[in-house]
Amino acid sequence: MRVALRYLWSFAAFGLAFGTLYYLFTEEWVGSVALWFLGVAPAIVALWWRRHGPSAAVRTSDDAEASPASSEGESLGSFPAGTAWPLFLVLGVIVTGASLVYGLLLLPVGATLITWAIVGLARESRG
Amino acid sequence: MSLTTERRHPVPSPADRPHGGPVAWLTTTDHKKIGLLYCVTAFTFFLIGGALAGAMRAELAGTGNQLVGPQAYNTLFTVHGIIMIFLFVAPFGVGLANYLVPLQIGAPDMAFPRLNAMSYWFFVGGGVLVLLSSFATDAGGVATGWYLYPPLSGPRYSPGVGPDLLILGLALIAISTLMSGVNVITTTFLMRAPGMTMWRLPLFTWNAVVTALLGLVAFPPAMAAFVLLLFDRRLGGQAFDPLGGGDPIVYQHLFWFLGHPEVYILILPFFGVITEIIPVCSRKRLFGYTGFVLATLAIGALSTGVWAHHMFTTGVVDNPFFSAMSFAIAVPTGVKFFNWIGTMWGGRLSFRVSMLFSIGFLLNFLIGGVTGVMLASPPLDFQLSDSYFLVSHFHYTIMGGSVFGIFAAIYFWWPKAFGYRLSERLGRGVFAFLFIGFNLTFWPQFVVGLRGMPRRIVDYAPGLGWETPNLVSSLGVVVLSLGVLVFLVDVVTARRRRTPAGDDPWGGHSLEWATTSPPPEHNFTALPRIRSERPAFDMRHPEVSPSSPPMERS
Repeated sequence: MRVALRYLWSFAAFGLAFGTLYYLFTEEWVGSVALWFLGVAPAIVALWWRRHGPSAAVRTSDDAEASPASSEGESLGSFPAGTAWPLFLVLGVIVTGASLVYGLLLLPVGATLITWAIVGLARESRG
Repeated sequence: MSLTTERRHPVPSPADRPHGGPVAWLTTTDHKKIGLLYCVTAFTFFLIGGALAGAMRAELAGTGNQLVGPQAYNTLFTVHGIIMIFLFVAPFGVGLANYLVPLQIGAPDMAFPRLNAMSYWFFVGGGVLVLLSSFATDAGGVATGWYLYPPLSGPRYSPGVGPDLLILGLALIAISTLMSGVNVITTTFLMRAPGMTMWRLPLFTWNAVVTALLGLVAFPPAMAAFVLLLFDRRLGGQAFDPLGGGDPIVYQHLFWFLGHPEVYILILPFFGVITEIIPVCSRKRLFGYTGFVLATLAIGALSTGVWAHHMFTTGVVDNPFFSAMSFAIAVPTGVKFFNWIGTMWGGRLSFRVSMLFSIGFLLNFLIGGVTGVMLASPPLDFQLSDSYFLVSHFHYTIMGGSVFGIFAAIYFWWPKAFGYRLSERLGRGVFAFLFIGFNLTFWPQFVVGLRGMPRRIVDYAPGLGWETPNLVSSLGVVVLSLGVLVFLVDVVTARRRRTPAGDDPWGGHSLEWATTSPPPEHNFTALPRIRSERPAFDMRHPEVSPSSPPMERS
């Protein structure tokens, strides 16, 4: 965890410092805001991680001396066998987007597909 | 370590398992299959984009209109650019990252397998919309150039649904990139095998991580620009319409905040590819691992500060700042060249096809890089900005670099993915055709560019010294096409022959070479101890490695 947090803080510092430097040089707002957000976004993730993330203990992956046996019992999570819901979700997004182009009549169809796919994905991930 | 696989039905025996059926492929969440789907789909788009390039070169082979009219030509270069950038090179890199990152770090899969499948299908959906926007509209295809600058792409000058569908397609591709970026970063930070510290990560994985970060950084502003453009077109918005108080320059800022990091999104994965290949084929450790990683991070960081060198000629950006940043980014790229040359220096080189493509990459990319430094100088850029010189520079970087990297990757990791080899003999033919064809096509474009030929013209007058270079360039495309044809023949014949490759045909260094070819479900039955950035090499050569027992059960 420490390693990931260290990288996140580094990215945040870089974005904020570079955005400020860019603003001081150019006084141009679009780029400055984009660069500041480059710093703000990882800072938000890092803050969240500090408060709610897993413990700050050193992971076996960050321990140069660890062996495969060191991670015995450590769970990597679960891996789904297969899913068709992403296909329906993308179909729903396309139809919803197309409603902006071809007419709002398509919107209910797209919204239904998206809802159906999200519910399907949620139910499937709960097993 | 333990993992769980969600199974909704009793597990059939391995012999009965329908791994190869179309439904299994379409619903897969296995990172290897998704990686291969990405690569095959992207390569299909390459064939379509290449055919469009062939049509353009046929038109430009001589003076006078041969094949297409001006509007159709505009559509050709617009769609060619979008396909090659967003549907071929970048997704091929994502496909390789999908396939290789979990294998290289000793993980059983990506961190979010469903999200991974979703990112692939969003990419496919985006690709279909891009193709529809180009060919299936009443008002003709999009003809604005790949960067969709308003006001040309606005409702006044580009009516019809083509640009709308294109914007939607690009939005889906952006979402796909964000999803795959989150997945690659999370996987790399949280699912590395014991002992696989960040400073032992394989260089391909390092480059994939920096690429994913750049995607996360660069795509949201561009997506905002696309959505605002869609509002301008469909909902009466005026964000970029000067007549309504909007500012098209803001669009250019937002677009190029994606557009320039995108160049590094296109090239970094293939820096990673050749950095895996060159040490293996030089039978040496990579020269300067730490320097290489720092150079990769520096390129990622600096690439967020060079976007407006595409806007020098607008007159409203700070040219000295962006010029200095663009010069600066050449430094870490130069460091990488020292890494590659230092690795080959004194090595026992074996000129496998993947190594030939890697060397081709170095030569072509060097020319692309040096001409890039020339274009980073505003006085030169003002002269060359809209000329064929720029077209050639860009192609030397992306086609001479990334596409050669793609072929290097295909020849290097094909045995890992399928368990059998492609032909070295045919592969050398592919390399020869592609290298000669590529340089025949694009070197003359430097010449016509310096002679003043502007880009994006369907025809040109005789007597300007442009005919011969254009003819040579068009003949080069024929040679390039032969190279692609020989490659397809190689794939078909290798599939028929299926010469077994073994698990590690090249003496590879990174962890994927420590498992079977093709790898099993969840990748490893046993992991070696990881004591350096070359765990597979350490496993095979314990006498020179810092590792004690070579294998342990996981």
